[in-house]
This record gives sequence, structure tokens and C-alpha cells, in this order.
Amino acid sequence: MQSIRKSILRHINLRRSTERWFLMKDENILMQLRCLSSSTDAASDQILDQVIGLVKKYDRINASKVTETADFQKDLNLDSLDRVELIMALEEEFSIEIPDEKAEELTCCADVAKYITSGASQKVIEKA
Amino acid sequence: MSITSTAAFFARRAAQKERVQILYRRALRDTLNWAVHRHLFYDDASNLRERFEANRHVENLDTIDRLIEDGEATYNKWRHPDPYIVPWAPGGSKFTRNPTPPEGIEIVYDYGREDNN
Repeated sequence: MQSIRKSILRHINLRRSTERWFLMKDENILMQLRCLSSSTDAASDQILDQVIGLVKKYDRINASKVTETADFQKDLNLDSLDRVELIMALEEEFSIEIPDEKAEELTCCADVAKYITSGASQKVIEKA
Repeated sequence: MSITSTAAFFARRAAQKERVQILYRRALRDTLNWAVHRHLFYDDASNLRERFEANRHVENLDTIDRLIEDGEATYNKWRHPDPYIVPWAPGGSKFTRNPTPPEGIEIVYDYGREDNN
């Protein structure tokens, strides 16, 4: 009786451990993906979409004109103070702090997305 | 007179524009610090914007300089003593929390099934 029980248990264990091994492998792949994606296209595209979506919501902007590279002041007819408001809204959306001198250099959606992804990748490097 | 003075004029204009932008940025942040709630912040922010817009068409350089100095003085006077800081930025509440564990320490995910292995 005892031996049957043991053999069954061992069998179950074996299956369980193989399952677990697969699970762990999956997790590893996921982790790798997560680490990689911060520097690759998937995540940065997502951030760019989020940036564009938020810029479109700004009420002084004509939403149909918003593109990746449209300059806030020249193409979207914002004045300098509008741009300051917009950058602050973006800061709050992504919970980041953009220093004053950097904030002046951000003139289009692509710039902002690039700045945010560069900040995120720095954070990943710090963690690793 | 003409070329150097126009160049100087535009240089001074550009410097003033930059100063106003930075002042507006800081003031807007400070408004959020004071307001805390969004629905309060929206009113305060539009009031702030109106105060800036009121002097939009001032042309005299010296007057602009004086206005900027007044604005900066007001900002400094009403600056928030304990401003909001993004949690993981330096000075934030989560700054350097959860540092990476030392080498050789890892989590083993076997969920209490160690005995049967």
C-alpha cells in the first residue's frame, strides 16, 4: 500500500515539477520581454500613442492636426504658455518630473515620447 | 544704431520670453501644490492664466522687466513650503525604497511543496 502511494505521489510530483518548469520558463520569457520592451518598439509605441491621445484632448488644439512630429507652437498654434500647460499635463499623466531646461526642448509628441522612454530605460538600468 | 540695437532688442525679448515661461511653469506647479484637488486647481489655474494674459500686449521692455520681477516676487512670497514631489524622484516618499537585494539572494518559487521533491 505504502509503495503504491509513494509511486503515485512521485508520479504526480514529476508532472507537477515539469509543469512548474514550464511555468518558470514562461515567467522568464515574460520577464525578459518586459525588460527588453522598455528599449524596443512595443513600449515606446504605446507611450507615443498615449502622448498623442493626451495632446488631442487639450482643448486649445485642433485634434485632427495632431501628429507625431507636429510642432506644438508652429503647427498646432499654441502660444508659449499653452505649451507649458501641456507639458505639465504630460508630466502628471506619466508621473515624471521634467526639469525646466529640458521642458523647453520638447516641441513635438515624438520628442516627449522619446524623453519619457529614455527616463524609463534609465530606471530599468538602475534597478538591474 | 540700427543692426546692433535691433539685435539687442530681440535678445532681450527672447530672454524675457524664457523668463516668463519659467515663471508660469513654476507658478502653475505651485498652484497645484496649494489647490490639492483637481476641481479647485482648474479655477486657480485659469485665474493664474488670466493674470498672465492681462499683460500680454505690453510692449515697453522696461515695463515688461518690472512686471516679471513683480511676478517673481509674488511667486516667491506665496511659494508652498512643502511642495508635491513625484514619489520616486529625489526627495519623494519612495525615493531609493526597495533597493536591489545583494548578490546571491534570490526568491525560490516552490510554494511550500519542498517536502515532496
